[in-house]
Amino acid sequence: MKNVLTVFRNEFRRIFALRPVFSVLVVGSAFYAVFYPQPYLNEALRNVPIAIVDGDGTSASRELARRVDATSDIAVTMVLPDIVSAEREVFARKIFGILAIPKNFERDLLHGRASPIALYADASYFLLYQRVAGGVAAVAQTLGAEIETARLIGIGVDPALASAAPDPMQLTAVPLFNPEGGYATYVLPGAFILILHQILLIAVGLLGTLPGADPSEHTTDDPPPGPFATIVGKMLAYLLVEAIILPIYLIALPYLYGLPRLGGVIPILVLAVPFVLSISGLGLVVAAIFKSPLSVQLVLAAIGLPFFYLAGFAWPTEVIPPAVHLASLLVPSTSAIDGFTRLAQLGAPLADVRGEFLMLWGLTIFYGGIAWILEVRRRQPDRRNARGAGLLEVSFRSDV
Amino acid sequence: MLARSRIRPGFSLVFWREVDWLRRRPLLLAFITIVPMGLMALLTLIFSAGLATRLPIAVLDLDSSDLSRSIIRMVDATPDTAVSVRVGELAEGRGMILSGKVHGLLMLPRNLERDVFAGRRPEVVFFYNTQTLTIGNLTLRGVSAAVPTAAAGIRLSLRTAQGEPVDEAQADLSPIPVQIHALFNPTLNYVFFLLAAILPSVLQIVMVTASAYSVGIDVETRHRLRILRRLGGGLWPAIAGKVLPYTIVFLMVLDLSDSVLFGILELPLQGRGWLLDIAGLFFILSCQFLGVLLALLLKPTASAISIGTLLTSPAFGFMGIGFPRLGMNAFAYGFGAILPGTWYLTARIDQTIRGTPLDLSWKPILVLLAFVVGLAGLVALRLEVMRARAAREAAGTPPTLKEALS
Repeated sequence: MKNVLTVFRNEFRRIFALRPVFSVLVVGSAFYAVFYPQPYLNEALRNVPIAIVDGDGTSASRELARRVDATSDIAVTMVLPDIVSAEREVFARKIFGILAIPKNFERDLLHGRASPIALYADASYFLLYQRVAGGVAAVAQTLGAEIETARLIGIGVDPALASAAPDPMQLTAVPLFNPEGGYATYVLPGAFILILHQILLIAVGLLGTLPGADPSEHTTDDPPPGPFATIVGKMLAYLLVEAIILPIYLIALPYLYGLPRLGGVIPILVLAVPFVLSISGLGLVVAAIFKSPLSVQLVLAAIGLPFFYLAGFAWPTEVIPPAVHLASLLVPSTSAIDGFTRLAQLGAPLADVRGEFLMLWGLTIFYGGIAWILEVRRRQPDRRNARGAGLLEVSFRSDV
Repeated sequence: MLARSRIRPGFSLVFWREVDWLRRRPLLLAFITIVPMGLMALLTLIFSAGLATRLPIAVLDLDSSDLSRSIIRMVDATPDTAVSVRVGELAEGRGMILSGKVHGLLMLPRNLERDVFAGRRPEVVFFYNTQTLTIGNLTLRGVSAAVPTAAAGIRLSLRTAQGEPVDEAQADLSPIPVQIHALFNPTLNYVFFLLAAILPSVLQIVMVTASAYSVGIDVETRHRLRILRRLGGGLWPAIAGKVLPYTIVFLMVLDLSDSVLFGILELPLQGRGWLLDIAGLFFILSCQFLGVLLALLLKPTASAISIGTLLTSPAFGFMGIGFPRLGMNAFAYGFGAILPGTWYLTARIDQTIRGTPLDLSWKPILVLLAFVVGLAGLVALRLEVMRARAAREAAGTPPTLKEALS
């Protein structure tokens, strides 16, 4: 126990004494907290510019164009004579859709015929396409319902019944947890988990590869702390640092950015314990494998982005191949992003994230165990210069 | 020993020295080849389904009528949604959403069928999880396609009951139908959209940090920069020899992944391949010079790599693939504009799915060229400054007061 405390104190001091670690863990966390959310802060796309090609030029076609322009989704910024010239503007990214109203639009409506309109929406950007297509379809439907009601009254249907007729069975869609459909509300909760994950992973990797990682260098105790005390002491030190950073990321930042949070603080903190410990374990293993701080930095920098898509957050788990999904559970972020968003954003009870909670504890034991074995092996003097251990060190050493 | 005269300084000397150096560092070589390729393979697997279909939703059927059953059948039959579970009450459905088993809950109210035919406009309610925005919207798309289809049958019978001919009644159902054409991406395939953009983002991180690393080593070792210059027989041959081996590796990685995307996964290549290649080359060079510049400005190398990571790893969001740049605040828009990746992805979208006409294709490519020229110029300038300073010190000129004090 005393040994654990020695390691713990020493490791905690190193976090603030070693400049690279401090800059990743503290400066990096602060920087990302401000920098990362910037693209998403406007939450939703508004007034996506489109062009109207009005082949009809009647009051009905102008009414349609006016209503499309009045939606919050779309702004009609150009009126062009033909599709060809409008297409060029799409290629130039001046507009993202073309609404073509054919000749005889009004005449067909007055004759009681279907009077189709055509929308060419830029689908090379997914969100823009959704906005334009959704906005125009909604306007056409409302306008169509008005016309339909008028026609029914015209053929002698009771007005009360006629106004129900266009839509006899209303579909009311109730968006849950992110009622505005905001992009920041969608991306940031998951992204914050991933940022915490990557920053802690790099920091632990650096701590394990920079000078002074071996606790026996810092203590005159005899005997020096054993492998088990070393691993446990280090993990506790990381837990203490994260006890400050994690609540800032998962509770203060969402509040400051105005993200809805339905879950309580306590369940979040309960899940945070195995989250931090499993990353710490993984970080210790990474440090033991790569052995040089520069290689830890290089390798971990590049691999963060794909983790996001493994968590079933941006891309549904149901369509990820099962083998890939199973393998992805070895990375703490997969369970953590899913578990934390359900706890905090959906307000799920802790019992609902039982699986993720146990998985993170499992990873803690798994990676902690591997780190412990590597630590035991490292201390056996005859293995110190064993071939396997030396190979990577040589390959990434800093000079010729 | 070789006679001094037999070593001919020049570009190729520096080039082969660098190739040799890289060969002796398997981990760095793996980092610039296997890591991006491996990540690419992983992402290809993740998105291998292409489209997210048959997303599970729950149904709460309080009516149990012919109408409610036919609605459920239609919802199950759309490509987007699958009715995976029937629940007995609202709370149970809510629990299913919270546990992540389903993405939405469709509630069909009591007396639905009776009220519909009485013209009381009963409400069918669909609760869906928009925390996962894309997935939630897909389930909504499925349900909002199916429910009006079911309603259309009822509307038709209302008209024919009034004595309206069937074909006329049919036209009446939707007075203003909208024919939506998805320009450039008719199948709305997700793979086109994400996969093609993620690899360049990962590669951008790899290129900037690896370049910072490889040059940082030279900067940190005494006299290495001077030796390099002498080996190259001048400033520019030395820079070219140092940078080019990596350019070739990165070009190979980019081309290999592109041949998988276009050759095997059959992503569309509507534009001009040669323009895509030029854009790719400029993209690679600008990322490399950015990394080199960081290594020349920041010491130690670890700091250069850290700053490189800090700038490039959150770049994906700023490049406007998920959330378009059009909707960003001024800061995010501006930061996006100074990332080479933003312009490369613009050129890439132009030349792969959009098939942009030649005269409208040049802007992103010229911006990338400007990055290359500008960054290479800054690198050369910085090297000249460093050299002048070293020469001053070597010549024994008394240092300025400030330097002496520091």
